[in-house]
Amino acid sequence: MKKVKSLVLAGLLAFAPALALNGPVFAQNETAAAPAAELATPVDADPRSSDPGAPADSADANVANAASAPVETVAAPPRMKPTEGIGMPRPGEITLQEQFTSTGHTARWLHDKMLLPLITIISVFVAILMVYVMIRYRRSANPVPSKTSHNTAIEVIWTVAPVLILLAVAVPSIGLLADQYKPAPKDALTVKVTGYQWYWGYEYPDNGIPEFVSNMLPEDKAKANGEPYLLAPDNRLILPVGRPIKLIITGADVIHSFAVPSLWVKMDAVPGRLNEKSFTIEKPGVYYGQCSELCGARHGFMPIAIEALPPAQFHQWVRSQGGTLKGAEAEKTAQAAPANTAQKI
Amino acid sequence: MTTITADHYDDHAHDHHDADHKPAFFQRWFMSTNHKDIGTLYLIFAIFAGVVGGAISGLMRVELREPGIQYLQTWANFQHSLLGVEPATLDQAYHLWNALITAHGLIMVFFMVMPAIIGGFGNWFVPIMIGAPDMAFPRMNNISFWLLVPAFLLLLGSAFVPGGTGYGAGTGWTVYAPLSTSGSAGPAVDMAILSLHISGASSILGAINFITTILNMRAPGMTLHKMPLFVWSVLVTAFLLLLALPVLAAAITMLLTDRNFGTTFYDAAGGGDPELYQHLFWFFGHPEVYIMILPGFGIVSQIISTFSRKPVFGYLGMAYAMVAIGVVGFVVWAHHMFTTGMSVNVKMYFTAATMVIAVPTGVKIFSWIATIWGGSISYKTPMVWALGFIFLFTVGGVTGVVLANGGVDDVLHDTYYVVAHFHYVLSLGAVFALFAGFYYWFPKMSGKMYNEFLGHLHFWVFFIGVNLLFFPMHFLGLSGMPRRYPDYPEAFAKWNGVATHGYEIMALGVLIFFVNIFWSLIAGRKAEGNPWGEGATTLEWTLSSPPPFHQFETLPVIEETAHH
Amino acid sequence: MASLPPSPFDRDRRNRRTMVAMAMVGLSMLGLGFASVPLYRIFCEQTGFGGTTQRAQAGVTVREATGHQLSIRFDSNVQPGMPWQFHPEHPTQTVTVGAKSMAIFVAKNMSDRPVTGSASFNVTPTQAGAYFTKIQCFCFTQQTLQPGQEVRMPVLYYVDPKILDDPDNRDTQEITLSYTFYPVERDGKAS
Repeated sequence: MKKVKSLVLAGLLAFAPALALNGPVFAQNETAAAPAAELATPVDADPRSSDPGAPADSADANVANAASAPVETVAAPPRMKPTEGIGMPRPGEITLQEQFTSTGHTARWLHDKMLLPLITIISVFVAILMVYVMIRYRRSANPVPSKTSHNTAIEVIWTVAPVLILLAVAVPSIGLLADQYKPAPKDALTVKVTGYQWYWGYEYPDNGIPEFVSNMLPEDKAKANGEPYLLAPDNRLILPVGRPIKLIITGADVIHSFAVPSLWVKMDAVPGRLNEKSFTIEKPGVYYGQCSELCGARHGFMPIAIEALPPAQFHQWVRSQGGTLKGAEAEKTAQAAPANTAQKI
Repeated sequence: MTTITADHYDDHAHDHHDADHKPAFFQRWFMSTNHKDIGTLYLIFAIFAGVVGGAISGLMRVELREPGIQYLQTWANFQHSLLGVEPATLDQAYHLWNALITAHGLIMVFFMVMPAIIGGFGNWFVPIMIGAPDMAFPRMNNISFWLLVPAFLLLLGSAFVPGGTGYGAGTGWTVYAPLSTSGSAGPAVDMAILSLHISGASSILGAINFITTILNMRAPGMTLHKMPLFVWSVLVTAFLLLLALPVLAAAITMLLTDRNFGTTFYDAAGGGDPELYQHLFWFFGHPEVYIMILPGFGIVSQIISTFSRKPVFGYLGMAYAMVAIGVVGFVVWAHHMFTTGMSVNVKMYFTAATMVIAVPTGVKIFSWIATIWGGSISYKTPMVWALGFIFLFTVGGVTGVVLANGGVDDVLHDTYYVVAHFHYVLSLGAVFALFAGFYYWFPKMSGKMYNEFLGHLHFWVFFIGVNLLFFPMHFLGLSGMPRRYPDYPEAFAKWNGVATHGYEIMALGVLIFFVNIFWSLIAGRKAEGNPWGEGATTLEWTLSSPPPFHQFETLPVIEETAHH
Repeated sequence: MASLPPSPFDRDRRNRRTMVAMAMVGLSMLGLGFASVPLYRIFCEQTGFGGTTQRAQAGVTVREATGHQLSIRFDSNVQPGMPWQFHPEHPTQTVTVGAKSMAIFVAKNMSDRPVTGSASFNVTPTQAGAYFTKIQCFCFTQQTLQPGQEVRMPVLYYVDPKILDDPDNRDTQEITLSYTFYPVERDGKAS
């Protein structure tokens, strides 16, 4: 049914050149709609009207989408198996997930090598001081209290020292922020992410792949797939490795938050407003995330999975969805084509 | 620091004096104008609300003990059977979860911590500590308290009316639009908002009362710079309430009109902006966390000084650190919104401003330790709780420095790391201060000594329980577990299980607390006017325990002493 | 400070004065809360906060085109349930900073009744909002489409050359302009 939208879209585009631009603020075309029009309903309405209890039935939408693609049939790359402990929490884990983006590395370094030691030292320092005074100045050891209630030098020290420590933290912290906000270059892959109650929609505007939705897999299917239940959706967001990615993120109904911990990504999906987030994934893999802004009853049940593929396989996937590649992309694929024939993983 | 000339106030041998004439029961408790009685009412109310809010968190921990939905469906069906409607769907059960987290947050913030620490201890001891016979506006004081009761009933009642997918308000305590507007049909959210309005009105009236009392009702010689730090903390808190709560009132009024009268303040469809609500909410919400903790700072300062037998170290620094925290607290709000898509400069500013708070907070921590330094410590129950407070508040504070980094917050935002952080500063900070204050002033308020052994036992059981409960949440958050989830992937099972055991131990600690209260009220030793000895220098210890119904009919005069 | 204790009468008057002053403080904060709605809008419009775009009159003269090129991406959304199709004619456009450009959005009413819509909008990255200036836009007014009617709606805009001097936008290579259409009820109120 997503195809319907693209058909209508194509129809409208065909009309476009015929329309005059001069005259009123906008030119109006009152002619009958494209033939497909009556079939068309806004694509967004479809999943919403379905039974709320049932996620989209196809467990492998790559195939589902490919089947209905009007152009050449290219098989989608097989669904990648996640690696245990990569792109997902590990059982009993006590620290941050392993990172696969450059901001992720910087941020994890800031946390693991700077903030965590710092706060541990401060806490231990305070604890040692407290234990010392508690033992040293107990009533039996020190029956007569001193009357000291001022010491300017020490007061200055414990005001200035934290200021210096914070300045030392602020430098890498501000650097990290600047790094995170570095906008994507022009050749980045742009993918649109839309948060719905309670699933995600992904669209590839530059590749002509219309929106497809991603629902959580029920427990039995997730287990059968060898994927972690509550993290695994049916359709993954397929992205290329090593190429800058720009997600443009919005919400359709209430605020959601698109979050993938192992890529250091968390961005709110706000209705009526677009946010963007750029990153480059370093390694092929499946990276899981979960909605991170309370969005109603099934807030806990709209997971995210990003499947990062090498460029050639990504291009294969794009074509399997009936999508097109930009000039530069297509060239690269052609060069990479020989390697492409061998399916990895 | 100061001494009180004891020539013309009467704290002894006046059993038949009319200062102790109490009105009849109904008059005394329902139309009370006596600050101590109102304080008692507040404390009883807060304990009741705390039990309700704590029981809700118990339900949450039980459900989260292991992966999967264990009990939520049963509870939702029970809720539905009470209402005589058909059994809950799975989505309605999930909605019940959201209603539980919302109720837990709102109850603990607005109906437990605030009434206890400001309404309870503030009412009881601010007038006494400044040598005033009562609050400036005793009747307004009574209204403040009684407004809380309908507010609480409204909130509890909201659990039994439709609120969108299921019953009850399932918006989180932050009530973000548009989930709270177009996302939650039914009267539940309206009732919760109205409940916030009423309790907010109660707090604003209380704040005006405290400010007036502290500014105008001090005994001769009790200058601002001689006031006990608890009074300072309540003064700063009252100003925060007065400046922050009206903004919340405006924000949630617009939420109500968006819900019911077709306005679009927060609706992009009509040119509004949902982010505006977040800005307004957190402009209130951040000072709100200081509202909950500052009086705790004051209480801990009194206790540390009393049981170390030393005046507070760096009194002025302590007082103005609280003022600084209050002021800076108003310009850091958007660190709660780091993932909303703000521009890089805004994020850098809020990162830097937030870190600044660590400086006055550090001053307080070190000044407390310096107060103990050189002291002569007796380990009575209140002191033990206060020491626990200092350490746990430090642990909660340093994770705040981590979260302040906007770049790091990108992955920690809305995870259990945040839950761990604010429970360390509130559940282990504010609540430890509350227990410390309760044991410290219990002899004064009731005239009975609590049981020292049970008090210590309560401390240790509670201390172990809450640490076991909240410390593993740091791990869960780092590992990526989001907040407000009724179910979680297998990988988070271990630390969730530990946390639930921590809750069980903590609950046992609370049980010991209640045993102690009842034992002490029934069989406790009679308390002297000053059970704590020479370290207790504030005015309440110059009165009998409990104090006469009307104290300071002749105002005490506070004189400067030689040393400083 | 060792003056005589104030008489109860004096004290009551002083208390009332303090109460009134504090009540005024509370009321002005309440007023500020409500005033934040227009203030926030003005603030966003002035500073481009949150990706708010700028607006210029039709006769605006733009500084001579700079030769520096930027990509502009167009994003379109329709609130779920609104029976419109709405999309940009081209997803991206390459423009010269400082030069006026036009983009076309196409909207079509898929239902059998007239539907009026109004659009909300913003740009990303948010720091580009202060430089993205619209001269003419369908988003300034409400649009009514008859059943089955299709319209092409132009946006006339330029990117202020000052963006080239802003260090925060040094790396900006693409600006995304996003619209979301919402249905408007017939009485002019948004639903």
